[in-house]
Formats: sequence, C-alpha cells, structure tokens
Amino acid sequence: MKKFLTAIFSIACTTCALAQETPTSPLEFSGSVDTYYKYDFAKKSNIPTSFVSDHNSVSLGMIDLALKKKTGKASFVGEISFGPRGQTQSIPDAANNNSSFHIQNLYINYDFTDKFSMTAGYMGTFIGYEVISPVGNFNYSTSYLFTNGPFQNAGIKATYKFSDKVSLMAGLFNDWNLYSATRGVSSIGGQLMISPVEGWTAYLNVLSGADPYGYGTIEDLTTSYQITKAFKLGLNAANYDMADDAGGYAGVALYPQVAVADAVTLGLRGEYFKTKDVGAVLGTAYTGLTLTANIKSGGLTFIPEIRLDHNGDKPFTNKTGGAAPNAGQFSLAAVYAF
Amino acid sequence: MPPVYLSRRLFIIFIFYLMVFGMQYRLVLILVLLSFKLSAQQKQFSSDDNGKFIYYEVVEKAAGKDSLFLRANTFIDLYIKSLKKQSTTDTSIFAKGVMVIDKTILVASHPSGEVNYKFTFEAKDKKYRFWLTDFEYISYGRDRYSNYVPTTTVATPLEKTPGKLSAGEWKDIIEAAYSKTAKFADNFKKALATNQTEKQNKKKETISTKKW
Repeated sequence: MKKFLTAIFSIACTTCALAQETPTSPLEFSGSVDTYYKYDFAKKSNIPTSFVSDHNSVSLGMIDLALKKKTGKASFVGEISFGPRGQTQSIPDAANNNSSFHIQNLYINYDFTDKFSMTAGYMGTFIGYEVISPVGNFNYSTSYLFTNGPFQNAGIKATYKFSDKVSLMAGLFNDWNLYSATRGVSSIGGQLMISPVEGWTAYLNVLSGADPYGYGTIEDLTTSYQITKAFKLGLNAANYDMADDAGGYAGVALYPQVAVADAVTLGLRGEYFKTKDVGAVLGTAYTGLTLTANIKSGGLTFIPEIRLDHNGDKPFTNKTGGAAPNAGQFSLAAVYAF
Repeated sequence: MPPVYLSRRLFIIFIFYLMVFGMQYRLVLILVLLSFKLSAQQKQFSSDDNGKFIYYEVVEKAAGKDSLFLRANTFIDLYIKSLKKQSTTDTSIFAKGVMVIDKTILVASHPSGEVNYKFTFEAKDKKYRFWLTDFEYISYGRDRYSNYVPTTTVATPLEKTPGKLSAGEWKDIIEAAYSKTAKFADNFKKALATNQTEKQNKKKETISTKKW
C-alpha cells in the first residue's frame, strides 16, 4: 500500500510539473460533485420540484464529468453525470432505460467565422434561468419554472453574433429531453441575446413544437443584471401554451443576490407559478420563497437554504398526512467544482 | 524562464530514474521535490508607489528608437485578440490586455478566470522600458453548455487581500498571473530584439532530395 501511495504521489507531482510547462492544455477537463441533507417540515418529501428529494437523509446529488477540446474552428463537448440528480431525477429517466448515467451535453460546434457558428448534438436547454448542474445554479433546490420546462434539447442550431451586445440563435430540435426524436425533428427554437449595458444580459427565447406532453409553444425571458459590485438581480418569466387548449403554465421568478463578504453571498428566489385551466379543471397557483447562502472556499460551495411554498388549493401535506396549503424545508448542500 | 524549464525537465527524469532504481531515496526525493516547488513559487509581482502589482523592466543596449517602436507595434498587432492598443505617441504605446488563467488537473486543464491588465511601452534611443499593471481578476464558471465564461463583470484587483476562505485559491491565481506575465515579457523582449524586416527577408532553408 505504501509503495502504491508513494508511486501515486510521485507521479502526481511529476505530472503537475509537466502540466505547468504547457501554458494551456488542448483538452479541457472539469466537473463537479454534490451532496445534501434536507429536512422537510412535514417530515416527508413535500415540495414537487426537481432534485433535493430525500427527507432527513444525507443524500447524493451527482458526479459530473466534462471534456472539451477545440481544434482550429471545430470543438466538441462531452459531459456525463452519474447519481440521482444527474441520472434518475433528470430526464430522460435513465433508470427506466436500464442506463446508469445521463448525458448532460454531447455536441460538436464549428465556428465558420468569428461571428457565425453552428452546433449539433444534445445540449442543455437554452430556455430558463436554472439548469440541472448545481454548479450553474445559485439555489440548490429548483424552481417550478425549471421543473416544468425543458431540461435539454437535441438538435442543430446556428448562432450569429452581431456584436458583443447582440446575437441571434435559430435551430431545429427533437422533442424535449430525448436523445433521439420520437416525432421527428419537430421543434423550432430561437434566442435573441441582448446586452444593453455592461453587466446586464437578457435572453428572449421561444421554442415551439413537440414536448413530452404533446405540442406547444414556450416563450421565455431570462435576464440578469449586476447592478452594483455587491448586488445582482436575475429574472425569469415564461409562458407555455399547449396546442388545443390542453394546458400549460405561466410564471415568474425573481433572483436578488447580495455579496455580504468576499466568500459569502445571500440570495432570495421569489416565484409565482400557475398551471393553466384544462377544460373544467382549473389551474393551480404556487408561490415559493427560497433564502439561500453561498459560502465559497476554493472549489467548494456550501449552500444552506430554507424554502417556504404556498398553494391555496392545498396540494401539500402536513405532519399528520392531511392536505396543507404550506410546505417548507431546510437543506444543507455541498457542491465541489473542479 | 528557459533555465527553470530545463532544470524542471531534468529533475522529472531524475525522479523517474530513482523511482525505479532507488527505493530508499524516494522519501528524500519527495521532500526535495516539495522544496523545488516552493523555490519555483517564490517569484512574485513587485508593488508600485500606489501599492499596485507591477511588472516593470528596462532593457538597455537595444535597437534605435524608431525600430523599437515599429517592433513593439508589430508585436501588439500579432496579439490583437488579447492585447488592444488604446493610444500611441511617437515613442510610447498604451494598451489593455487580458490573459486567461487555467486550472490544471493532472494533464488536463480548464480556464478558471481571466486577468485584465494595462500595458505601457516607452522607447528611447538604444533602450526601452515597459510595464504591466492594474491587474484585475474575473472568475469563470461553467455555463449550461459546459463552456467556461465570466461569472461576473466585477473585477477584483490582484493585490487585494482575500478572506481566509479564498486565500489558497487567490495565491494560485497570483502565481499563475505572474508566470503568464513573465512569459509575455520574454516574448516581448525577443520580438524587440529581432529585426522583423530581416526575419521576413531571410529565405526559408529548404532541403532538396533531387541531388545527393
């Protein structure tokens, strides 16, 4: 064992020294690991948004591994995850397919010019503020808008960058969240990015076509503005209409964040989300308030969070199992990005 | 940097050799390796009158003022993607630059942030000076497509003392920034010591296989 450890240590030191000689590596390698503890005030899982599902348990998020390489004008990204957050709790449901992993990104990009590029493959969706990877989110739990919207899109897209302040993307996509299409390349999507002032970026998104529920159109605004050195404000608003008045949803979420120290940022997520009426069945409205802290030390982010949700139609349960209009949870998460 | 580079290489080969042939020396070697790493990390930025980090060099016994100015201009034009000219006079150039800092994991790496800086060049006859200052760091994060992009528009001056939680990471960033700055300075000095016209006119040596 001693010999093995000594050898590993020596090789690691040597490799480190070798790597320092090369200013940049042609192959990018990165990833993350996350784990959490959640306590639900109703003593059972109650809030129906994605991830952070287990009550009173130290549970796993996922391990995520990503590779990227660029050669000339061509590049690829391959990102794969293992664990509940990146596997069974992501879509497509890996467990149902007897698969033990989930592809987060797998695409090839070609920069025809400095302004024009095309990308094909399976990518994180361009819709919405939040993403599957905990590294990309401030809050550890997720919003209703994220849970009900697309997670990923397979397709081909073209992006034209008019300037650093304006770009336009248009693409053709499969139905949401599927590695291969079940109804052909059936969706069309677009994104207009504008950056009116330094620190403010806004994305106007639209995606129309096949989705897991049928056919529909989703319009989405995702924006964030670093207003001062310490204060940042994010906003996500979306409207989703299914074809033939078969339902949909609309909602808005606000993300104010304030840096209180070099390594500590506090953030609030306030969300209003309403499902649409389907015939005689009336839609239902949720409000959610999530207070989160991000405490950073190197690659580690420690995320304590408290969340309170409300719905007048009492979709939640209380400690005794009865219907309740309110739900709450407390969680502690650790996310390490490398 | 060449001597450091060379000695590091030789040192690595030496380590491998002794790993195979001299088990009893391994512990000693590991300690030596650590001290080598420490000594390699000792170089750091100096501070200017305002307490800001600065990399400053004066080079004597150089070419004429006009040649130096021309060569400096050519060099900056070559670095157009990472170094943008802001203003020039007959004898000086002021530019703003950016260098990407990488985080290395074994043999692979990824960008972890960028350091913006200001570059000043001044030429006199047979000598010149240049300095880089106003180093500011912007951290990168991974976006939804797994690309590394700036996570904020708020830049932090490199000389700022961070809190305890970020101290280790900040030290690595400063070391990486210094290393890249020193390499940039070496390239700049080489460019200013080379006559570009002569270099262009010099015929590329070709090998003919027709006669032997």
